[in-house]
Amino acid sequence: MDFDLGEQAATLRTRLRALIATAIPEDYLGAFTNDPADLDVAQQFCQRLAHEGLLTIAWPTRYGGGGGSMWDQTVVREEMWAHHEPRGAQYMGLNWVGPAIMAYGTEAQKQQHLSAIAAGTVIWCQGFSEPDAGSDLASLTTRASVDGDGYRISGQKIWTSYAGMAQWCVLAARVGSGERHEGITMFLLPMDAPGITVRPIRSMLGYHHLNEVFFDDVAVGPDAVLGGVGEGWAVIRQALAHERVGIARYARCERLLSALGAALAPHWHDLPASLQGQWAKALVQVRVARLLAYRTVHAQATGEVPDVLASSARIAVTQCDQAVAEVLCQAVEERALEAGPTAPLYGAIEDHWRYAQAATVASGTIEVQRMIVAKALLGPRA
Amino acid sequence: MNPVLPTEAIEFAATAAKAFAALGGVDAARRAEEEPARREGEVTAALAAIGAGDLDPRANPDSLAAAAALCETAGTVALPFPLVGTLLRDSQQRPFAVVPEGLWRVDHGDLFPQWRVASLTGGDTIAAANAAPLGSRLGPFVTDLHALDRPTGDPRPLDATPHPDLAIHLTLTAWHILGTTGRALELAVEHVQGRVQFGKPIAAFQSVQFQLADCSVALAGLRELACFTLWRLTAAPDDALTDALALRLHAIDVARTVLRTTQQLHGAAGVCDEYDICVLIRLVQPALRLPWGAERTTEALAEAIARHGFEGLFPHGLASR
Ligand SMILES: Cc1cc2nc3c(=O)[nH]c(=O)nc-3n(C[C@H](O)[C@H](O)[C@H](O)COP(=O)(O)OP(=O)(O)OC[C@H]3O[C@@H](n4cnc5c(N)ncnc54)[C@H](O)[C@@H]3O)c2cc1C
Repeated sequence: MDFDLGEQAATLRTRLRALIATAIPEDYLGAFTNDPADLDVAQQFCQRLAHEGLLTIAWPTRYGGGGGSMWDQTVVREEMWAHHEPRGAQYMGLNWVGPAIMAYGTEAQKQQHLSAIAAGTVIWCQGFSEPDAGSDLASLTTRASVDGDGYRISGQKIWTSYAGMAQWCVLAARVGSGERHEGITMFLLPMDAPGITVRPIRSMLGYHHLNEVFFDDVAVGPDAVLGGVGEGWAVIRQALAHERVGIARYARCERLLSALGAALAPHWHDLPASLQGQWAKALVQVRVARLLAYRTVHAQATGEVPDVLASSARIAVTQCDQAVAEVLCQAVEERALEAGPTAPLYGAIEDHWRYAQAATVASGTIEVQRMIVAKALLGPRA
Repeated sequence: MNPVLPTEAIEFAATAAKAFAALGGVDAARRAEEEPARREGEVTAALAAIGAGDLDPRANPDSLAAAAALCETAGTVALPFPLVGTLLRDSQQRPFAVVPEGLWRVDHGDLFPQWRVASLTGGDTIAAANAAPLGSRLGPFVTDLHALDRPTGDPRPLDATPHPDLAIHLTLTAWHILGTTGRALELAVEHVQGRVQFGKPIAAFQSVQFQLADCSVALAGLRELACFTLWRLTAAPDDALTDALALRLHAIDVARTVLRTTQQLHGAAGVCDEYDICVLIRLVQPALRLPWGAERTTEALAEAIARHGFEGLFPHGLASR
């Protein structure tokens, strides 16, 4: 037994931290704030990572990647999320859109999209959820009607992250008369295609995160289909599996606990004893979440299909996100509600609390994860 | 023994609910976030129209109960106004606020030229707004005050006896939290009955029902404690601060779990400003975290119990040893 991620991972971590320290402003809170400069920071950072061969370090070499291990990928995820995801929305292209195109795409699709993702220039969004298809994603109704050798797409998506800044969308739509999982087909389509309208949704996460996307008779060619007509559910499953381990929320939790701990150090003993205790408990919770995430990565690396592991890790990680948000807020007491660069940790605590409230819903609710864990315990007939 | 709130208080709350509905319910808070100046005109007028100005929660138990019911109703719509503070205004119309010892942060502190403030350890100080409201998503109207009647730089209160209005302030704030939290449960009940997934309303799933049931039990307990505390403020004034701290602590705890659960039951809609639940959760944060959050309140309560005991069937604290 050895829980050390190894020399290579440690070197990568050091390198990423050094790069972040030089390229990312200390008060950076991610790409989706009200300040457009924050998006620019992310876009430039992606290109810098690409230039240094770090953006696709975990992609296979035959797709221009660094051929890094799952553990390299884990380190990248941790360092990025810990530092407010300076890749902005591009993490999605790297984490699952690229791999899905590798697994299901045609040669032409690979040619067109993988190099663009690897260059750090393109933002993708994920058009799965619909007003009436949330947890029950298989009930989606956006339709792609056959039109000549191509399709015409009509319908509505909702909660689409980054749709307003994305150039491309992976869209789940229905072709033919198949019901539920059958008939779902994945399309790769440009967001500037005529007939697409994006409407931002004001949310607790800010004004530039969630969107509604309307598709009104959007024409696409046959080459827009990813992975075969009616084969979309397999792509969705792969995407969601990546998403479940995709965000290393525990890493930001730990970084904020650490940074605030250092800032509070001279006044540590002024904190109520019960809060000091909660702080210690939070550190344990963060460690457990990290270990569950590692167990999932380990299983993936050795080729298992870790549905129940991935869901267990996600439950632990999202719960830890919310628990830590609360501890951090209480630790800064009357300054908890302050936002902006003069607030504690440059506003990261207030920001974290707002984002954490959505952690148990985004990428599938915690209840859906619980169903997966329960099914594994009880068997499929329960 | 009669645990029921007086009829007049219940009727008064119903009148207030109508007046707040006429303002658009939670839309009044949304408008205030867009245009903070609107808080003064429309909310003040609505409160005056229902006779909120005639209430003095210090005067007698009935007025206290009516004030509590009014605060609860205000909580159901996140009324953008420092209602608790103005109910405890002094003869010169200065509202009263309880502040943390460090920074004197008060929700809607910008709305009045002067405030009377006290902290847990005492004080009775005149203060005025220092700066513009925070404008953050979780505390858009939270404003810093500074002392007017003594040198700045020393925010600590001058004496060390709790202000007589402190316990009432904490109690009424807990009623406001109760209002928000109760409304959140109502919204979740409506939502899960209308929201269809997997071919049926999500209310049909037992795990959803259990979550609602737990919220309901928690709220029922908080309501009993809130009524009991009102009664104790008059019946056992010496214990007022201990009882008010106990209520505040429980209100924060219940709000935290009920708001989290009811937001979760809304799915992604729960973090979206178009839905009332999201606005309620954001705008109740100042009440939950100012003047102190759960842990600081726990600490104060434990100390108060150790010193003064705690009502129950058996003795507690120093008196019991
Ligand atoms: C921050 C954020 C970003 C997102 N980004 C994207 C994106 O980029 N692309 C995209 O396609 N989607 C995105 N989503 C949408 C997300 O995938 C959905 O919100 C999620 O799948 C839940 O769907 P819903 O919101 O419709 O909730 P619902 O499915 O309506 O669920 C409401 C509540 O009912 C519960 N529930 C549902 N079914 C059951 C059951 N059978 N038993 C017990 N409880 C049940 C849920 O757990 C939840 O608590 C995002 C969401 C968030 C919050």
